[in-house]
Amino acid sequence: MLNSLAAQAIFYVIAALTVGFAALVAFSRNIVYSAFALVGALMGVAGVYILLAADFVAMVQVLLYVGGIVVLTIFAVMLTQGIGDLAVSNRAVGPGAGLAVVALAGAVMLYATLRTPWHLATAVAVASTTYGIGNAFLGVYVLPFEIASLVLLAALVGAVTISRQDTPPPADGAAEKGRS
Amino acid sequence: MTQFNWSLINFAWLPILPLIVVAVGAMGVLLAGVQVDDEDSGALGILTIALLVFAAVLSLLLFGGRPSVAFSGALAAGGYTAYFDLLVLFAAAMTALMSVEYAADQGLAGAEYYALLMFAALGMMLMAAGDDLIVIFLGLETMSIAIYALAGFMRHDPRSNEAALKYFLLGAFSTGFLLYGIAFIYGATGSIKLEPIEAALSRPATDNALLLAGVGLLLIGFGFKIAAVPFHMWAPDAYEGAPTPVTAFMAVGVKAAAFAAFVRIFMVHLGPLGPQWTMVLWVMAGLTMTVGNLAALVQTNIKRMLAYSAIAHAGYILVGMTAAAAPRAGGAILYYLLGYAFTNLGAFTVVVALERRGAIHDNLADYRGLAARHPFLAAAMALFMLSLAGVPPLAGFFGKFYIFSAALDAHLLWLTIIAVINSVISAYYYLSVLIAMYVREGGVEPAALRTRPALIATLVIAAAGTVAIGLFPQPYITSAAGAFVSALGNAPHHHVVLSR
Repeated sequence: MLNSLAAQAIFYVIAALTVGFAALVAFSRNIVYSAFALVGALMGVAGVYILLAADFVAMVQVLLYVGGIVVLTIFAVMLTQGIGDLAVSNRAVGPGAGLAVVALAGAVMLYATLRTPWHLATAVAVASTTYGIGNAFLGVYVLPFEIASLVLLAALVGAVTISRQDTPPPADGAAEKGRS
Repeated sequence: MTQFNWSLINFAWLPILPLIVVAVGAMGVLLAGVQVDDEDSGALGILTIALLVFAAVLSLLLFGGRPSVAFSGALAAGGYTAYFDLLVLFAAAMTALMSVEYAADQGLAGAEYYALLMFAALGMMLMAAGDDLIVIFLGLETMSIAIYALAGFMRHDPRSNEAALKYFLLGAFSTGFLLYGIAFIYGATGSIKLEPIEAALSRPATDNALLLAGVGLLLIGFGFKIAAVPFHMWAPDAYEGAPTPVTAFMAVGVKAAAFAAFVRIFMVHLGPLGPQWTMVLWVMAGLTMTVGNLAALVQTNIKRMLAYSAIAHAGYILVGMTAAAAPRAGGAILYYLLGYAFTNLGAFTVVVALERRGAIHDNLADYRGLAARHPFLAAAMALFMLSLAGVPPLAGFFGKFYIFSAALDAHLLWLTIIAVINSVISAYYYLSVLIAMYVREGGVEPAALRTRPALIATLVIAAAGTVAIGLFPQPYITSAAGAFVSALGNAPHHHVVLSR
């Protein structure tokens, strides 16, 4: 599918948009802008999935990540009082060391990408992948599929425990304050 | 569209029975908790222990089983899995036992506390059993999410909040590395199951940079979980701030589970890449031991000291992994983790014994003169410190002995020398606890032990194990070595001899 020139052009446009929005997420000074830029980045990823003919994954990406997680994030940002007023809510910590790590990691990635003899998959006719995914989830991958629900249950119990309001605090409350 | 193919499902109930008991048990404890007030959550603790012991009995029955894979290669059953299941279940049961009075005294929400403890144990068992990178990853997540919440369980204590937040942020960060590594390995070998990955390694075309980058990322991900230097920054704060029984579980359970998956992936299945990853581990082991021990020297808080001590011990175990070329190395690591579990659980139980609601006596100065007031408590602590320092004939000594001799078998002379020097350095801070207890005066008066039978039981079990595993190492090292061999038996392609 990516063989035609048009498909390649579309891929590069989508890739550029994704990386651009991702950079906005990382570098924007206001966390509200970051949250909105995340929508663009995740939509871009969905676009890549569509180009790869992964229809089900693309749909889930839009539904869950864009529709669910980002909306939740934006709600959390907006409902947290005064979080947008913080002048430097997204400040870089230790830019020197960070840059060094990024440069090193980038070099390794680039080297790995260029040196690897990539397996090129043969193009297949575009067909619904839902059937295969469903079969795999209830067949070969039934155990991981079931475990995933236990992960969610543990996360739910943990989240409720941490966030619920009861028992009057004996001391000065639960301010998450880092000790230096 | 064809009919759903039922034969695709390879249900094997037997190997997952202990897992089912723990998973259903966690939910059962949660439901039972509706009837119980937080002030007398001890009953829930006892229920948790009973369920964990039941699961352990089932694991014991599976211990001698023939190595096999279940669920289309998602799980490996056999001695290795059963060994780590027993270790994890033991650590969880001991943690519950030392929490019985602690949780009630601190007014912790009992049902959620014990349920999360069991969820964490479930995740650890999955990590030990996983024969598939996805199962190992899901196990790691189940464990980590439960432990994040447990670390922050004392919601009104800023130290506990800090511990949870730091552990969560760095844990999530390290998960990214692990997943990225898994994706790379999938890209390079075309599989997420360990056996096909190993088979792919012997194909000439897979000697590629993508695979090595993936293995490197996996190494970083596990490095965070076992708190190896330079990925250890989170450990002291997380250990100090978490409720003390949770700290004990982090030091013993999380470490055992992370090493279970780490050893299975690297020593059993990534053997053909041994020359590459043992080089990295050599450096990591040396750094981890040295930084851990040197930092422990200057600590004044006992939980921070034990955190750095845990880092140093991860370093000794990494020496064992670096010695992967030696056939004895695998058994030595498994034995080390067993002795370390008894000893460290005991040491943290003593820390719990000195704590009361609103009075956290976790400074070294609080231990001054403990021997005069509480000879039993002081003697137990002395025993655990001596075992951690590696004094014969305790469990810690033979653990180090087997690891170091495996390292010598693999011709790692310099790394062994570094490890021995580190053991000597570590004796200084372990003995300083003894000196505080037996020579100095002052300190605090802990609450009477008589009113806390569960705590006494935990101490007695831990002390008995520390002595027994040291005095009679033979049966334990034999079953540890057998368990490791059974992991090799899970890998039918295992004919590649490790070499440096």
